[in-house]
Amino acid sequence: MTLIKWSDEGGTVRLGLPSDLDLAMAQPLLDSLRAGFAASGTVVAEAGAVERVSTACVQALVVASRHAAEQNRTFAIAQPSEVLAEACEDLGLDGWLKQWSQA
Amino acid sequence: MEDLSRFKQTYFDESAELLEVAEAGLLRLTPGEVDSDEVNAIFRAVHSIKGGGGAFGFTELVAFAHEFETVMDGVRNNTVPVTTELVDTLIRANDLLGQMLAYAREGDPAPAGTTDGTVAALRRHLSGGAPQAQAPAPVPSAPAPAPVYADDEDDEAGLFGDAMAAIAAARAEEDPVPPGKLRWTIVFRPRSDLLMSGNEPAFMLRALRRLGDATVECHTDALPTLQNLEAELLHLSWTVTLIADADVDLDKINDVFEFVADDCDIRITAEAPPPVSSGTSPVTDPVPVAAAAPPAVAVATPEAPPKTPGADAPKAEAARPRPNGGGAEHAGLTSHTIRVDLDKIDRLVNMVGEMVITQAMIAEHVRELPPGEFQELLEGLEQLAQHTRELRESVMSIRAQPVSSVFSRMPRLVRECAATTGKEVQLVTSGETTEVDKTVVENLVDPLTHMIRNSIDHGLEGPEERERVGKPRAGTVHLSAQHRSGRIVIEITDNGRGINRPKVLSKAIEKGLVQPGATLSDEEIDNLIFLPGFSTADQVSNLSGRGVGMDVVRRNITSLGGRIGVYSTPGEGSRFVLSLPLTLAVLDGMVISVGEERFVLPLTNIVESLRPKAADLHGLVGKCDVMMARGEYVRLVYLHQLFGIPGAVADPTRALVVLVETEDGARLGLVVDEVLGQQQVVIKSLEANFRRLDGVAAATILGDGRVALILDVAGLREMSRHMDSRAPRPPSSPVAALPAPALEPV
Repeated sequence: MTLIKWSDEGGTVRLGLPSDLDLAMAQPLLDSLRAGFAASGTVVAEAGAVERVSTACVQALVVASRHAAEQNRTFAIAQPSEVLAEACEDLGLDGWLKQWSQA
Repeated sequence: MEDLSRFKQTYFDESAELLEVAEAGLLRLTPGEVDSDEVNAIFRAVHSIKGGGGAFGFTELVAFAHEFETVMDGVRNNTVPVTTELVDTLIRANDLLGQMLAYAREGDPAPAGTTDGTVAALRRHLSGGAPQAQAPAPVPSAPAPAPVYADDEDDEAGLFGDAMAAIAAARAEEDPVPPGKLRWTIVFRPRSDLLMSGNEPAFMLRALRRLGDATVECHTDALPTLQNLEAELLHLSWTVTLIADADVDLDKINDVFEFVADDCDIRITAEAPPPVSSGTSPVTDPVPVAAAAPPAVAVATPEAPPKTPGADAPKAEAARPRPNGGGAEHAGLTSHTIRVDLDKIDRLVNMVGEMVITQAMIAEHVRELPPGEFQELLEGLEQLAQHTRELRESVMSIRAQPVSSVFSRMPRLVRECAATTGKEVQLVTSGETTEVDKTVVENLVDPLTHMIRNSIDHGLEGPEERERVGKPRAGTVHLSAQHRSGRIVIEITDNGRGINRPKVLSKAIEKGLVQPGATLSDEEIDNLIFLPGFSTADQVSNLSGRGVGMDVVRRNITSLGGRIGVYSTPGEGSRFVLSLPLTLAVLDGMVISVGEERFVLPLTNIVESLRPKAADLHGLVGKCDVMMARGEYVRLVYLHQLFGIPGAVADPTRALVVLVETEDGARLGLVVDEVLGQQQVVIKSLEANFRRLDGVAAATILGDGRVALILDVAGLREMSRHMDSRAPRPPSSPVAALPAPALEPV
């Protein structure tokens, strides 16, 4: 299992999303989100560096947000890059991103 | 997709069946004895009706079905208890759903408040008896969930994707479509493995945005949990509402999904601007798509004002007139089609075949009647013959299907092959609506798949090589179908390098398929690729090169009564031509005699019959006899020679020559004793009853009960090439000798 870069700061897991969130990165991202929620009640995905994004990775983030909502956990997408924002808009998930990037 | 009305008809037919399924299940639903399978079946039926209704923009129907479905979902999740009152409500809901379908079929909006009473009753059950005016609010502690859509994991109809339930509700309050524009609703439901083939939905959705003003809604209801999600499987689907200029047509939208057509379910509906009402400015721009894709959303009319949610309408509902007079059942929703077991159709086809034989037998006996007598009987028999022919054609049309079902699979194949070989390939198709017997259609998939793979792998050059020889980087494969001479002709043409004949010949010699030093014509070399075990691929690839392909293709086509030919020009490309019979049951034939034997020639092959003069006949030294017919030399084929029939007339000037033409335009002169007459014959497979014979397509039973062989003209041509078909004749024979080159090709 490969995990993407993360840190645990005072009970908050911060995942540093890589610049290339392509299809191959979907599994590491998913594993990291699972591990993050296993380790903490609060997971923040740092998305400022994202320059390329696949639907598979966006889907993993959406599933993470639903998981947080259902399990009363906290999840946020911090500083989404312009590319991520555009991809979410294309996918009809701009409202979702807005919601979770403000959480 | 081009003909939405056809799908709509299917939808109503399917819905009628689903309503019956739901009703039967509801009648068996007993408090305390709930069968989960039964409940699931009812849920699926309602869900499928809703899904299809959404695709066609039946807003009110979808909204009502959604309420019905929500309660059924509660029943299957055990959150709504099954009571006698509930069952009564559900049966009423099912009846009402039938009425909504009937309104939709008629193109009429349901009268205001039609569903309100039943909806209120359904909601009471949902909330455990308490009135419930609105759908449950989002959970306050969590962010608002995505729009609620029931997924169609179990869409029983299989024809309709997810409903556009939410759009339906939203749309009712939307502004009408601006004049000169069209509002398209595109439901895009990818298969879960779409991403794994390298496709990216975001690109397609972005491409749709470029066509107009697009609103994209993402449906997330089918997402699994974080623990169950498989990273590369896609569980999202989308509904795009696109307001575009009138020049954006269905083709442009379909183009966006060209490469994923086989990997997703796409439903597209169009909505035109509303009709002009008095007092408003007229809509001047015609909307070209309106005829093909009727307005998807019923526009509110004075008779059907927008209903007020929650209005107390039970009494109104009871008083509503129902389309077509309506009954308690699914009023007015009569089906225009029925589904029939294929075996029953085949039995019908067989019986019609037997009837054709019987009719031929009667006609045979009638010929023996004294001339001028029994005139009424003869006229009656003539009418019977006419009706038999019409009956035959009608029965055959039941089994006819367009080849589009096969052609539609090919874009994906081409795309995959192009990706595997690193070539750039464009597929062009034409004649997709050409119809042919169902069995033929079904058996076309494998041969076409193999030939297209072959064209891409062997025929087309790589982009760099194409550029070097001055061709566009992308090669083209053209797949076409058309009716010709009573058969269906399918062609696969590529603009690649053509068959490498020196390589083919040397490979054939190396494999011992051809004797070293043999002289073969270009056509004969090209046809070597159909020999078993032949392959010129230097390396075995995933696509082809195992040498198990083209011979199997030929065998498959031959077993259907078809033929395959290849025509190639070096540097310009290759053309594979398949010729198949339209039907496998009966044909119009000409009965001929050779010696004591009777044969049937398909009428579609016959040009004319004539008795040649001696001066028209010539001998090609060491090859064959030819006849001058209408300014061109035609090879003579002596059937008695080919089939070893004694006692036949060997001299063409005393016999008859039937001039026949193959599908590719080649002509032959068949030397026969007599032409006995035209007859409709029933095709009996020779392969199934005996074995395949060269030059013979099938067998039949004649009016006098004799078995006759149905000749395969192209097969006769091949046979005649491989033997010296010169008739033995006395030294005084008038046949003059011609130099060989004057006759190529015959």
